[in-house]
Amino acid sequence: MPTAKDLQSLTDQEVVVLARAGKESAYRELLRRYERPVFSLIYRMVRDRELAEDLSQETFVKVLNALESYRPEYKFSSWIFKIANNAAIDQLRRREIDTLSLDGAPGARTAEQVEATALQAVDRGESALEEMEARELGTAIEQAIGRLRPEYRACILLRHVEGRSYEEIAEALDLPLGTVKTYIHRARHELREYLGPLKA
Amino acid sequence: MTDKQLSPSELDQALVRDLSRLPLYSPSRVFSAAVMARVRRPQPRAVVLYRRTRAWALEPRRALVLGSAYAAVAGVALWVAVPWVFAHSPAINFIAGQVSSWFVGVVRDAALATAGWAVTSGITEFVRSLSLTGERLWMAAGTLVVGYAGCAAGLHYLLRTPRGKDVALQPSH
Repeated sequence: MPTAKDLQSLTDQEVVVLARAGKESAYRELLRRYERPVFSLIYRMVRDRELAEDLSQETFVKVLNALESYRPEYKFSSWIFKIANNAAIDQLRRREIDTLSLDGAPGARTAEQVEATALQAVDRGESALEEMEARELGTAIEQAIGRLRPEYRACILLRHVEGRSYEEIAEALDLPLGTVKTYIHRARHELREYLGPLKA
Repeated sequence: MTDKQLSPSELDQALVRDLSRLPLYSPSRVFSAAVMARVRRPQPRAVVLYRRTRAWALEPRRALVLGSAYAAVAGVALWVAVPWVFAHSPAINFIAGQVSSWFVGVVRDAALATAGWAVTSGITEFVRSLSLTGERLWMAAGTLVVGYAGCAAGLHYLLRTPRGKDVALQPSH
């Protein structure tokens, strides 16, 4: 039986094969690999930690229970991001949230709700001034991302935050490659506009 | 933030750099446990078939129908079997006697063969040569008991350890 260390050296496809054979440690390895990227994507899409956690959980349950239907010619990451993105987009459509605030979920009414649902900037171990600047810039970028259309937001997050290729994004979002490039170009243009005053 | 009078391409590069520096967020610590609790792992077909059949049969009406059908079949079988047994009792007794005498013969032969082997193989002499008497006998018995208890404790620990706990949860930011 492969140990957790052995599993770390395997490709996604190989781990999926082991998971299909019923190996619990393979399921956990897939979870370990994708829980942060998937959660981050959904969290940045819906801007509500609790909701993002629920949607991420749904995504993983759906994916891990449907491993038999996974086709190895596609990247596993594309498949899981497709399901995660669909979950987030469905939620946004259901709630008709297009423009979101960094200062909390749109449904947040009280100060406690705003605090609980606001995106938290993360300490990267820099000096106090650098940390403050990074935090301020991070906040501004998160705010600007929140103002993008959901389609643009998903593209820009997958490309520049998750570091996925254009082809992978096209596969994950079921969009033509050209459309993905256009969306990312427009998203960057919009972000530059939103962030322009800060950069100047 | 500190960049001054950047050209559009420089702004673009800075934006890409800043985007790539955005952190990944971690879900709560119970996230993976909550997911794993809802995941159905593939099982052997026989187990799946057994569970499906059991689930199907456990529905109250079906259980009642199945129970009634079983009782009816058993009743009919007894109604047929009991008169048949009485009608054929001499033949049945004869066959049962044949089978039991054959079985006793096999057991007796096996016991004789084992005893013969024990005598001729020299194992008896070996056991005698150990001179397991007094303190030595107690020591041997004690070693056996301790070894057996150790194995039992190890097996118990192995079986009670939750499976799949080898991967540590990711620390949450």
